[in-house]
Amino acid sequence: MVATPPPPPPLPVRDGALAGERAHGALSPMLTRLAEERATGVLVREHGTLVLHEGRVIHAESPCAPGLDVLLTARGTLDEAVWRQAADRPGDPPGAVRLLLDAGLLAAGALELCHLGALYDAGYFTLAPSGAPGRFRYEAVARPGPLRPVPVKALERETLRRRRLLHRLWPDPAVDGAPLIRADPLAAPPVTPRRRAVLDRVDGVRTAPQIARELGRHAFHTLVDVRRLAAAGLVSPGPSTAAAPPSAPEVTDPEIALLKRLRDALEAL
Amino acid sequence: MPGIDECLLEAMRLPGARGAALVDWTSGLALGTVGEAPGEDHETSAAEAAELARLAAEHGAFAAADDPGGERPPVEDLIVSNRDSYHLLRFVATPFDSTVFLHLWLAREDGNLALARIRLGEMAGRLVLE
Repeated sequence: MVATPPPPPPLPVRDGALAGERAHGALSPMLTRLAEERATGVLVREHGTLVLHEGRVIHAESPCAPGLDVLLTARGTLDEAVWRQAADRPGDPPGAVRLLLDAGLLAAGALELCHLGALYDAGYFTLAPSGAPGRFRYEAVARPGPLRPVPVKALERETLRRRRLLHRLWPDPAVDGAPLIRADPLAAPPVTPRRRAVLDRVDGVRTAPQIARELGRHAFHTLVDVRRLAAAGLVSPGPSTAAAPPSAPEVTDPEIALLKRLRDALEAL
Repeated sequence: MPGIDECLLEAMRLPGARGAALVDWTSGLALGTVGEAPGEDHETSAAEAAELARLAAEHGAFAAADDPGGERPPVEDLIVSNRDSYHLLRFVATPFDSTVFLHLWLAREDGNLALARIRLGEMAGRLVLE
């Protein structure tokens, strides 16, 4: 009788929870680490800036996304002069916000809505794939008083969800950043009033983020409209200029995914 | 002056309230949630409710005749009922550009749809105006 050799030791199993967490934080390992260590300071990436307070995001800014000032003054919610007066006070923008709130110029709910919307909007562009590694400056930042901070994980999850949403609407990201051109199909489908306002500003020069700024709307919301208009055959991307803002990654392109992983690994060094 | 959470907690005091959320119908983001989620989780139900709200808001057939420009939400509210619950979606008119609605989930047995509809409308107003 031949003795059966003992079975080989089981292969090591990767810690599923940990792997899942890492995969989840794939947008920026640096940001994941900063959240874990509850860092306070400013993260500057190619397409925007995140301000962290004890590992949570309290403010986001991107040249592609209109800030609180644009959103609040565009439709006359706040007078531009009033905003400037408040914003010129010593301290940072959150201080101005506090002032407006205390003076009863802005309802708490309206402010929170606007703030959260602007944060997720600017965060989406800030976390877009970038060509250069991000830099983090540890520094004291003012606690934003009445405004709710957003966990890094929530911002990352939402950003990924938004990428998937855009991809589902129209898979070509070129319309996100390029000057837009109107197309006039023979049988044009009906356009909703909100998308009509966007379409009316398409002139071969303006980009989606520029149109968002003019309308006082979130830039991501305008990307949604533009992708729907592109899917309906009503707009197409023109030749891109050098200063074009970033377009969302092709979520399915393995090469870009690889480049992203490389970039993220470099960032994590 | 109520913030988002205070507004949602107030909605939860309505008889039969099981869950409430403030959702953006363009992005599908839940800006605030309290109580139970009607589906898998709040994130998923927000995205699903957003899709329904968007269809109602974007189709001309449901819009009020007096405001074709689209400055205000074209629809006031949306009611979905099933065998065990009601869903009430109330569009929030804001003085700045936004696409948000309140979503209240009510147990059918204890919920009072008429009362909830009136109260949710008042809350939507107070949320953004002093």
